[in-house]
Amino acid sequence: MSALLHFTEHRLQEVTLVIMAITYTLRIRWLLRFKAGRERQAPTATIGASDAHRKGVAYSWAIIGMPWAMESTRRHRWLYVQFVLFHLGVTAAIVMSFLIPYAPDVLTARPVVPLLQALMAAACLIGCYRFYRRVSDKVMRRISTPDDYFSLALLTVWFFVATLAAPNRPDRGEAPLVVYFVMTAFFLLYVPFSKISHYLYYPFTRYYFGRSMGHRGVYPVRRQAGVAVRQGDRQARSGA
Amino acid sequence: MSVGTRSHKAAKVLERMGTKLNRQMVGSLAACVHCGMCTDACHYVLTNPDDPTYAPAYKADLVRKIFKRHFDWTGRVLPWWVRAKSVFTDEELEELKDTAFGKCTNCRRCSVNCPMGVDFAVVNRMMRGLLVSVGVMPEGVAVVSKDQWEIGNQMGVLKEDYLETLEWLSEELQSELGAEAGIPIDKPDCDVVYAINPREVKYDPRTISDAAKIFCLAGEKWTMPSEGWDMTNFGLFSGDDDLGGAVARRLYEKVTELRGRKLVISECGHGYRSTRCEGPNWAGMDVPFEMESSVITMLRYIREGRIKVDRARNTDAVTFHDSCNNARSCGLTEEPRELINLVATDFREMYPNRAENYCCTGGGGAMSMSEYTPRRLKSARVKADQLAATGARIVVTSCHNCVDGLTDLIRHYHLDMKVTQLVNLVARAAVVELKVAVPAVAKVPAVALPLEGYRILVVDDEADVLAFLSAVLSDNGATVVEASDGDQALDLLKKERFDLMTLDLSMPGKDGGVVFEALRRDPALAALRVCVISGRPELRRLIYERPVTPPEGYLDKPVSDETLLLNVRRILETEHRAS
Repeated sequence: MSALLHFTEHRLQEVTLVIMAITYTLRIRWLLRFKAGRERQAPTATIGASDAHRKGVAYSWAIIGMPWAMESTRRHRWLYVQFVLFHLGVTAAIVMSFLIPYAPDVLTARPVVPLLQALMAAACLIGCYRFYRRVSDKVMRRISTPDDYFSLALLTVWFFVATLAAPNRPDRGEAPLVVYFVMTAFFLLYVPFSKISHYLYYPFTRYYFGRSMGHRGVYPVRRQAGVAVRQGDRQARSGA
Repeated sequence: MSVGTRSHKAAKVLERMGTKLNRQMVGSLAACVHCGMCTDACHYVLTNPDDPTYAPAYKADLVRKIFKRHFDWTGRVLPWWVRAKSVFTDEELEELKDTAFGKCTNCRRCSVNCPMGVDFAVVNRMMRGLLVSVGVMPEGVAVVSKDQWEIGNQMGVLKEDYLETLEWLSEELQSELGAEAGIPIDKPDCDVVYAINPREVKYDPRTISDAAKIFCLAGEKWTMPSEGWDMTNFGLFSGDDDLGGAVARRLYEKVTELRGRKLVISECGHGYRSTRCEGPNWAGMDVPFEMESSVITMLRYIREGRIKVDRARNTDAVTFHDSCNNARSCGLTEEPRELINLVATDFREMYPNRAENYCCTGGGGAMSMSEYTPRRLKSARVKADQLAATGARIVVTSCHNCVDGLTDLIRHYHLDMKVTQLVNLVARAAVVELKVAVPAVAKVPAVALPLEGYRILVVDDEADVLAFLSAVLSDNGATVVEASDGDQALDLLKKERFDLMTLDLSMPGKDGGVVFEALRRDPALAALRVCVISGRPELRRLIYERPVTPPEGYLDKPVSDETLLLNVRRILETEHRAS
């Protein structure tokens, strides 16, 4: 292993991780500086009213794993599948950035590398599709910012490089690994300033939304199960 | 552009935005990833698929850009990177107004469909509030807000009119149920204080009498307040928290003064949400009594056996429209369905429903913003299709705003449906056990038409409206004389005697305001009862800002035959106010 690769795998990652942690801490402090709105009203939730807000929060946090719970994810199943694969790809690429320097032996287990590569390659393809969707769909184009395009492009390239770097074979050429770790370091610095930091806000937004909706008996959402709902979706689509 | 070139209003908007930001709001402004999942949750988008400016994310971004430019670090340092943008001119504020008021009903459907938990509706409401604070708002919003600030209710119903209506309804109820029935006013120490929507006084007094009938049949110890009786709150729509707090406090204080144990809120989505949920937050007070929707009250009466119902009296196919505020902001979804199934035989679910239902398209104050009516009715196509798919003849809703919105779209899309409320269904199904002795040989009176013997002058420049009003009134027994402009009306008034005049406001030549003032200033004509019927709520000031006795009635066009008849009867049958 060259000194450059060693530096990018270790020192560079450690320094940028610390910087990211500091930046995130500042970001959370900034968010917490704003006072949380207080709900004074007695609950309108009729079932289990005393802890309805807690159930609402739990439901709200879990909603992303329940594609049937929201019409948007129920109707756009393909987008939901993309979302899952894309974020699994992100997870795989992040996990790999720790495995390679600190637990390289894990990667020698037979299914690990192909699994990581499959996830990251799928995420890369989805990234390409998402970029296409963002450019071709007039609503997406209208709401997109340079940050949206750059973050998506950067992630997509990162997935590609990470797929190449996954075997962790510097003996076959260090370039994929060096590029992967340099890009990872760049992400650690860039993410707190970009839309990618949305996962930092997710627990907060969903917490407050869930608390309010739980308190008011909206969460968990009540629907008529089964065919009726699916018929309703079809009616709504044809109506649209 | 330098800060120095910023308009005074724009500067105030920015200054006040800082005071409106709480943690939930900041989360909603910072967390959007522009994934587009909210897009087709919006009925405006579904009916305007080629216009991306209706997309919820786009609309929220108009506020988000400002937030990022002034409060968020990336937007401050690299504004172009995240499309952060400040606001400088009054024209930009007008554009924001067009979106905040004219392209969103704050129905919250996008909010419940956002994977990130971004609450678009509260963002839009904040923008409305900021604009209202600098006087940038649709004229209808200004008029209604002014009425609620100054007169105490959002339809400008005067206390005398309110009390006269209750008195008239009380008499009718007594003739139906007996002398013990009636509508108690300001009775202290009651179990229930009942608050209503001013629309019920002006357009739909039947909902008040139906509710009164149910309270009487249930043997409830109840009352209605003489003041602070409006449970609606335009602050929810205008984003004006000060108005919201003042209106809510007015009602809470009245209930406290009467030592009422429970405040029952009549069927109104935004009224229920404002009074029951948001009001304590806006007013900054903990409310010392219980509050509930009249839907829950009626359901409880039936469950407890306090009223008996016969569902065979409601056999038409009915569907239920969930009001956005009831379903998506207060979780009131199951009780109305249980109640319908108890009082009607053929209930058909609407899809989607409950918290996923589409807006009636008249929410968020849209019915008071006549400049956006074409947009509203276009977006109503989604709702019209949804209604038609149920195959029902009657659509039931627990919201007065929805009644108006649905009625308007049903007329626009030529659906063969009627809108009603649960209180009407329950009252019709209620079994009345008569306590009064019926004479053995009752003299059957001749059936008289309700307006028989009355002479009415109908003034309107639109021929079809004139024909419609005249037909409804003459079909009910009135002698009708028509005038198509102000001059003709004044001539007729000087020559003939009338019991009532219906008056349009916007007419060529002398407008309705001029005619009205001339009438009130003429001692020979001043006592004539007047019902203004106008399609432009923003012109209400033409009447109410004049230094003369206000009209006895005011109706917004389009007006249904039933509403017209009810109001004309109310005006003619109640004691005419001495000026």
